[in-house]
Amino acid sequence: MKRYVIAILLVLMTCGAALAEPAADGKALTVRTYQFKYKDADKAAAVIKSLMSTEGSLSIQPAANSLVVTDHPDNLKQISAALLNFDAPAQAFKLSVRLISAAKTEGSPRVPDELRDVAPKLAMLRYNSFEDLGSIEVEGHEGEPGLVDMQSGYRADFRIGEYDPASDSIKVNDFRLSKLQGAHKDELAQLLKTSLNLKLGQTVILGASKASGSQRALMLVVVARR
Amino acid sequence: MISCLTFRNAFAPGTESPEVLEHVRACDPCLDHAAAIDPDIMFRALGGENLVPPGGVDAFVDDVMREVRLRSTEHTLSSARRGTLVSWPRRLAVAATLAAGLSGALLVWQHDRSVVPVPVQLAAVHPAVVSQARLTTKPVIESYDSANATIVEVPSEGASDTRIVMIFDDSLPADL
Repeated sequence: MKRYVIAILLVLMTCGAALAEPAADGKALTVRTYQFKYKDADKAAAVIKSLMSTEGSLSIQPAANSLVVTDHPDNLKQISAALLNFDAPAQAFKLSVRLISAAKTEGSPRVPDELRDVAPKLAMLRYNSFEDLGSIEVEGHEGEPGLVDMQSGYRADFRIGEYDPASDSIKVNDFRLSKLQGAHKDELAQLLKTSLNLKLGQTVILGASKASGSQRALMLVVVARR
Repeated sequence: MISCLTFRNAFAPGTESPEVLEHVRACDPCLDHAAAIDPDIMFRALGGENLVPPGGVDAFVDDVMREVRLRSTEHTLSSARRGTLVSWPRRLAVAATLAAGLSGALLVWQHDRSVVPVPVQLAAVHPAVVSQARLTTKPVIESYDSANATIVEVPSEGASDTRIVMIFDDSLPADL
């Protein structure tokens, strides 16, 4: 009789343990399906990757342009919010580009009035003389190309990428900075090609020089806004 | 019991006199005397005819065999009865199997219940929740089209602070 009681207690304890674990708040996984109207499901996967827990998983269904996400309810709440922002019609963004030539000079610093706002930041890179090579503001929608021609002979062309709500940033794909050369300034020489992530409203100073000890550098001051 | 003298006088080979046979059982010198004359007297004195069971030997053998069969049946029944009482290790094994089965079934049931696909209309999510989303930081330069370049990002003090990134590329012209 005693043995029977022990055996029943053992069974009850095991069942109790099995029931107790999933009962904890936020431990259970939930599956949700998101269907996209404006954006591609595979790009949405990249957007929510950082919001997922280690136990979460996702699968893309290209035919239905949908995303099946399995995660804890708390994570799914954030993911839903991020995807809501993501699956919006192509948004318009303004890109402000300023081109500055920076140099390290022995004499007195030369800082034009229009560059005084960024001069302290550039001074961190030990440049003390600056020349404004032009500034321009361009507007475009996600997925559209952009082209900026400076009077100083520089050209920047790029493609506005997708807005990432998780980082509140816009991607600028294939950003190419070129310089018109030759006697008639009709030969375009590519200086650099890169892809950028620009957080909205944040000023980004992108400098380029041949080496860390170079006396001259080209500075791009870029700000992306809605 | 008769005396030895009376025995010697009454004794004759093949006698079955109870008094004579009783004396032989009790007196060894008279037994030796009688056995020398009639060797079978010793066996007659043992009362061999009384050892035959009532009803004869066959009936006795039948009784013994019946008893043997009865005992055998009882033993078989007893063994079978003992078989229904499961041994302690076997009980533990059954309990463990039961527990494992129940736990597994419960876990599967819980999992199935929790992973029911729920289609979500994106527009139904309240925009106010957006602000709760965890913001991540991405590098300014995601890719750069030169293998010889060194990219240095100056750490910024805050999320809204100006970010400075320098590209040192040996392939760039000196007169940028």
